Amino acid sequence: MDLVRAAQRGDPGAFDELVRAHDHQVLRMAYNLLRSEEDARDIYQEAFLRVYRNLPKFRFDCSFSTWLYRIVANLCLDHLRKRKVRQEEPSTFAAESGQVDRLQFVPEERADVDPQRRFQSAEVHSRIQEVLAELTPRERVVFEMRHYQGMRLRAIGQALAVTEEAAKNCLFRATQKMRAALGDFK
Amino acid sequence: MKCQEAQSSLSLYLYGELDFATEENLETHLAECAACQLSLAREKQWHTFTNGQVQEPPFDLLAECRQQLRPAIARENVPPAANVRSWWRWGNPFEISATRWSSQIALASLLVALGFASARLLDHGSWRPFTVNQMGLLNPANAFVRDVQADDKGVVRIVLEQESAITGQIDDPNVRSLLLSASRQSDVGVRFYSLQILNRQAGDLRNDDPRNDDLRQVFFDSVRNDPNPAVRLEAVEGLRRFSADPSALEVLKFVLEHDDDPGVRSQAINVLAPPDHDAKITPAMTQTIADVLRSSPGDEYVRARCSQVLEEAKLPVVY
Repeated sequence: MDLVRAAQRGDPGAFDELVRAHDHQVLRMAYNLLRSEEDARDIYQEAFLRVYRNLPKFRFDCSFSTWLYRIVANLCLDHLRKRKVRQEEPSTFAAESGQVDRLQFVPEERADVDPQRRFQSAEVHSRIQEVLAELTPRERVVFEMRHYQGMRLRAIGQALAVTEEAAKNCLFRATQKMRAALGDFK
Repeated sequence: MKCQEAQSSLSLYLYGELDFATEENLETHLAECAACQLSLAREKQWHTFTNGQVQEPPFDLLAECRQQLRPAIARENVPPAANVRSWWRWGNPFEISATRWSSQIALASLLVALGFASARLLDHGSWRPFTVNQMGLLNPANAFVRDVQADDKGVVRIVLEQESAITGQIDDPNVRSLLLSASRQSDVGVRFYSLQILNRQAGDLRNDDPRNDDLRQVFFDSVRNDPNPAVRLEAVEGLRRFSADPSALEVLKFVLEHDDDPGVRSQAINVLAPPDHDAKITPAMTQTIADVLRSSPGDEYVRARCSQVLEEAKLPVVY
């Protein structure tokens, strides 16, 4: 909190420290949600610029990290919504052999010794990406925050400006979809 | 607890998000139910599958982001006033004439507008209007507006927090209420574009239209309180239609005496005393101009324009 107050007073070192304390998580979340270096870079920059511009108006009504996550989550939500509209970045691309899942080319380190496991792993990977892409932007963000970022539902609710119950319902819908798509994998 | 309830609670159980009593009931049920134990095992399995999907950003991406953030923050540190002033001096180092001032003001305003427009275009990409047109139980005064956009046919799209969008004609009362509310929200782009759209609508209103009242109040509030000069500039422009109104004169005087942005002050004097020779300047306006001149704003253009108006009105020029 002292760091935030110092940054509010215009101490550039304090602002830099605030950025460094949180930016890895911000970038990780944006990168995992958007799966694009360029988009994650844009979210990172825009999020911290918004923090910088609005820091003087931050009134400690919530924790700094909740406020920051609110900004990041909203930016990511906007981005995901635009993607849904534009249908950009399909998970497959056209190749001579037909439609190919671009995520097949993400290395699966633990499966590379066993061809059968590698095939299954690629299949699971592909199925997971498909179902993640089918979630609504809000379900996707809530799932990311809870499952990958380990945030509590209360904090997710605060970050998205919804009640904890609404965040829980959203997570419930997301996990139902995940279960339906992945529950039968052995 | 029954199986259906137990199975729908499994994910939240694994996340540790069940309340104490539900968790106790679930564990009791699991201890006795083989089917739900199997479901739990499957639930754990897909959790495990998805856990492996998390990707760390490439190692150099963070460093790259930090490097790019620094100059962006440094650009934020340049006071807007300094920017405008430097353009002003660059364009008009020695001589002063109302015509050239006007062009410089136009240039400064254009730069502000271009900056906004380009940032917004980059941000939003191409826009396709939604067909959603539901207000439901939404209270415009409390709605959190995330974005506003308008096309040249008077159709406004307002994006709200809860993944919904309102699309309607600019003179629709609901759309208008949301725009009025949006002009006071935290996002500078939302405030700016709301005022711009409201300004556009204001041109179609008759002088005795009651909708002028809340418009005027929004412009007053933004002129006095908005921290962003581009928003204040837009709000000052909105006061043009009210410039014969004594309360608007007071607000314009406030801007000329207190606003720290030369672009906003120049816009205010142009609203108060338009450079157009056919513009009607009332005695109340002239009096306000004389007051401003006496209080000596540190702005050559404003002082010169005030003097010009007073000379044309054949009134003594008192500094």
